[in-house]
Amino acid sequence: MTEQITLHPTQEMLAGFASGSLPAGLTVAISAHVERCSACRHCTSEMEAESTVAWLQDSDKDEAANDQDFSHMIDAIISEPQQQAAVVDSEAFTEIHVHERSVTLPRVLAKVASEGLVWKNIGGGINQAQVVLDDETQCEFIYMKPGSQVPVHRHQGNEITLVLDGSFSDEMGEYKASDFVQLTSSHQHQPTSEEGCLCFAVIDSPLTFTKGGARLMNPFLRYKFRKATSQRV
Amino acid sequence: MAKPETPKRRGASSPAVSIGGADQSGTGSDEELLIAVGNKQNRAAFDKLFKRFANRIFAMGMKLTRNEQLAHDLVQEAMLTVWQKAPLYDLDRGTAQSWIFTLTRNRCFDMLRKQKRQPATVNADDIWPQEGEHDGNLVHEEQASQEVEIEQIEKFYSDLPPAQQAVVEQIYIHDRTHEEAASVLNIPLGTLKSRLRLGVGKLRQMVGTEND
Repeated sequence: MTEQITLHPTQEMLAGFASGSLPAGLTVAISAHVERCSACRHCTSEMEAESTVAWLQDSDKDEAANDQDFSHMIDAIISEPQQQAAVVDSEAFTEIHVHERSVTLPRVLAKVASEGLVWKNIGGGINQAQVVLDDETQCEFIYMKPGSQVPVHRHQGNEITLVLDGSFSDEMGEYKASDFVQLTSSHQHQPTSEEGCLCFAVIDSPLTFTKGGARLMNPFLRYKFRKATSQRV
Repeated sequence: MAKPETPKRRGASSPAVSIGGADQSGTGSDEELLIAVGNKQNRAAFDKLFKRFANRIFAMGMKLTRNEQLAHDLVQEAMLTVWQKAPLYDLDRGTAQSWIFTLTRNRCFDMLRKQKRQPATVNADDIWPQEGEHDGNLVHEEQASQEVEIEQIEKFYSDLPPAQQAVVEQIYIHDRTHEEAASVLNIPLGTLKSRLRLGVGKLRQMVGTEND
């Protein structure tokens, strides 16, 4: 990837990511971007250091540990073997095949996709494969065929789109591989893709299609969102 | 005869590190304790680390779960991971405190998701990978920037954990390639590379400490 990544998670998001306090879907999307972006990797590293300081200062006033309780725990722990080398799964698949394209995924997304994706054709050259990661967000892989267009829609909440391959554009700009695109409820947009693209999207409330026949989809979308976020393993 | 090794720190992207990171009075910085646990399975060192961090881990658990039993479980999970992964720690990973913080964050993340019965498809180790994407060629590309006594190196080398010592021996004493060394030792190439990185890292630490 020789082109510069131009769109990144906000500082606030990276801080949430570094402290592990975001919903899993969003955490995964940020992790996938960070794998490809050395600037955000560096930033995350610094934030982890800051979180560490805050963590240690926070609990400074706690009472001393109860030695009795913990000595059993220590005994149990040290009887376990130690890990001598990093576990590197060189067999893990990282490529995904969608229609005629073969895309190398960031490792965390390869893991997400490893249990199999169910692709649905939703018309207009758009295909979606939903994955359940937590009960607060709706996550999906989106494949836009070359020349395709998503109907005009508005978000009630936040939408994060991580471009994995190819590019798409809307009224506000052009987005290419590894760009981390954030939209809020004030945006209404119509994404199109000339060359085609594969994305990972995380939404925290249902999309509302705003024009014409597509509005008939709205009740189904709300149902889909409720269903997605209530799924349990 | 071992080649002189450089104590140079790797990479501008490593967070700033200070060796004397003791947060309580008494002997042993957190880094020294963690390295003793990793190198020598030192029970006393682990004991000290445990007592320094258990409360803080418990506090994080309480803050996020409001449940004493779960917070207690988090202490066990996190400190178990510290024990298991201590051999993989070196100063290039940052301070012992932030290393332990990130382990705790990871265990806490997994624990909360399990509690909420969210899918286990991804876990914290997938999201916050520890081991170097930045591995491999570093060792051979290091340039010597400091004079080191041969006797010093031989002493440090003999202090390495056996697994790492064996790898360093193949690469630096017998001048083998990574592939040849892996074959001789009958270990996967990936394992060889990470043991080599760790072994050289430890030598650098020991040399660095000696010459401070």
